[in-house]
Amino acid sequence: MSMIALTVNQRAVRISAEPRTNLADFVREKLDLTGTHIGCEHGVCGACTVLLDGVPARSCITYAVACEGAEVTTIEGLDEDDVTTELRAAFTREHALQCGYCTPGMLVSARDLVLRLPQADERLIRVGLSGNLCRCTGYVGIVRAVQSVIEARRARDIAPEPDGGRKILGPAGSGRSVHDGADRVERLRPAASEQMLPETASSVPAILDFTPATVLKQQFIVAHPPEQVFALFDDIAAVAACLPGASLTAPPKPERVEGAIRVRIGPIAATFQGAARIERSPADMSGRIVGIGNDRRSRSSTQGEIRYRLVPTGQGTRVDLSIGYTLTGMLAQVGRPRLVRDLAARLIAEFAGNLDRRLSGTSPADATAVELNGMALLFGLLRARVAGWVGRFSSNKDGAT
Amino acid sequence: MKPAPFGYERPRDLQAALAVLGEAKVSAKIIAGGQSLGPMLNLRLVEPQLIVDITGLAELKQAERRGDELVLGACVTHADIEDGRIPDVTRGAMQGVAGNIAYRAVRNRGTVGGSLSHADPAADWLSALSALGARLTLRNLSGARMVAMEDFIVGALESALRDGEIVETIHVPAMPASAHWGYAKSCRKTGEFAHAIGAILIDPSAATARVVIGAIDSAPIVITNAAELFGGRIAGDYKDRFDARIADVLLANAGVSNAAHRHIHVSVLKRAVREAGA
Repeated sequence: MSMIALTVNQRAVRISAEPRTNLADFVREKLDLTGTHIGCEHGVCGACTVLLDGVPARSCITYAVACEGAEVTTIEGLDEDDVTTELRAAFTREHALQCGYCTPGMLVSARDLVLRLPQADERLIRVGLSGNLCRCTGYVGIVRAVQSVIEARRARDIAPEPDGGRKILGPAGSGRSVHDGADRVERLRPAASEQMLPETASSVPAILDFTPATVLKQQFIVAHPPEQVFALFDDIAAVAACLPGASLTAPPKPERVEGAIRVRIGPIAATFQGAARIERSPADMSGRIVGIGNDRRSRSSTQGEIRYRLVPTGQGTRVDLSIGYTLTGMLAQVGRPRLVRDLAARLIAEFAGNLDRRLSGTSPADATAVELNGMALLFGLLRARVAGWVGRFSSNKDGAT
Repeated sequence: MKPAPFGYERPRDLQAALAVLGEAKVSAKIIAGGQSLGPMLNLRLVEPQLIVDITGLAELKQAERRGDELVLGACVTHADIEDGRIPDVTRGAMQGVAGNIAYRAVRNRGTVGGSLSHADPAADWLSALSALGARLTLRNLSGARMVAMEDFIVGALESALRDGEIVETIHVPAMPASAHWGYAKSCRKTGEFAHAIGAILIDPSAATARVVIGAIDSAPIVITNAAELFGGRIAGDYKDRFDARIADVLLANAGVSNAAHRHIHVSVLKRAVREAGA
């Protein structure tokens, strides 16, 4: 716990809170100021908007500990505020609220627009309110209310303040943090335990067929005959060793392989543990791996399917890969499926390089030991060490989605 | 939706911050305005053991014109630029970009350095500052190095920052009076992350052009000598000479194989070119 000293609605407060306590929870739970509402908790809906050093800020993604010395104004602190008083009357008149959940944040943002906008331009007001979601009114009444207050104030010769009154540089709320004179230190939490629970993989139910949400098709060429490549694909341990971040958690059997794969996109890391079933068709040198895995930490699940077919070419073997997957849970909510797709494409590129090295008898140890570290791997490692191979790699990203 | 517990330090100066990062035996993450990291912490997509808050560092909250460039501290916010609290060396270009980032409440805390360090391909500054030819000073305990924007972003959420290193300043060259600027982005909802970004800094009298195609799945495409996009020659009639086919090929080469996605990117770039030529 940290002792946090700041001003809330012109009252000095000194209260201890965990560093992870956001400003919204701080005012609600510690000060009983429940007018600040919490909606999405990741900065999208605007319900939690408060004034921080006089300007609007998202209190759900601002940690109270980072607001040392700041002046916080919640909706309760705007009772006597001139602009908010006018806005309240206008909201009432224009039916600018129904359930009221968005209203405290809406008023804080509306007040900011009234102060800053030179005139009651409907488009600018709508753009200005785009960060505050209302699911009841359809915004028409809200926009009208804000317009009317701006018009009334400009008619009374009250000039706009384009900067909202802010004169110093840096994040709102950070202005006074240097004056406390001492480093603020909160001791570390114990190291996160990431031990893998043995029952995870075996608790995976039967591996069923599924229709993937995303399919990536890629192909690459390795300078080795198809028979040799097909034989390697039968060696599950060898295949796993070529896949960055992959490891086996139990001795592989042809019908069931248990393992884990660790992936990373920037600061996001996930370890999917699970099981896979393997099918092979020597007649046309093709095969299929169907798997299911869970990341305990983010409570995300993935189903994946890799189909491959080996085609002889003049240079050796062309490996046609079709990779399909469905991601559910927290990671899927990031809402950026293209980043996940980019990662999968990178994973395949690295896999192909390792496969080639392994077939050539070069030790892939240095490449396989590391987890897939996003583009750094592709740009650094690949460019430097297997530049020749990259030239032969052809990709067909996107595929069917 | 509450973050996992983390330790928190607010060093008093840059040297102390670098020392904390350099000595950290645990997973540490720098936080500035927290407008990208905050959501990731709340969603528990990221669970660092230590958060190092750099918003108290006065060194990083400065902006000044030095010769023919603007030197911005990493903790200058989007709103600082939008409101003109910093010297304008780009004839309003940066101001225009800043004013359309996310929402005002986000711009009041979100910082330029934080956005760059986060390296989300869809973030505005990645593309805009690449087109403006900005460079960054990166500092760790043993010293500083300078990298060009186009070398700083290496992929989606991946920058050239090494462990213990921090973006200290952003250096933006002054825009010549003869240069034209165009910046366009496509968002389905106002304020959301862009689906496509096009940026162009073109100087017909000097026959130079920098073009950026951003918000693709990985690092933006930066074309430092963009003559090929204008039929091999950059002159006053550039907006009529813009060759969408070349842009399409650049996108395909960068791995954007979906024709509809390429079409959106090319259209947005065309809009930026038109804006520059207006």
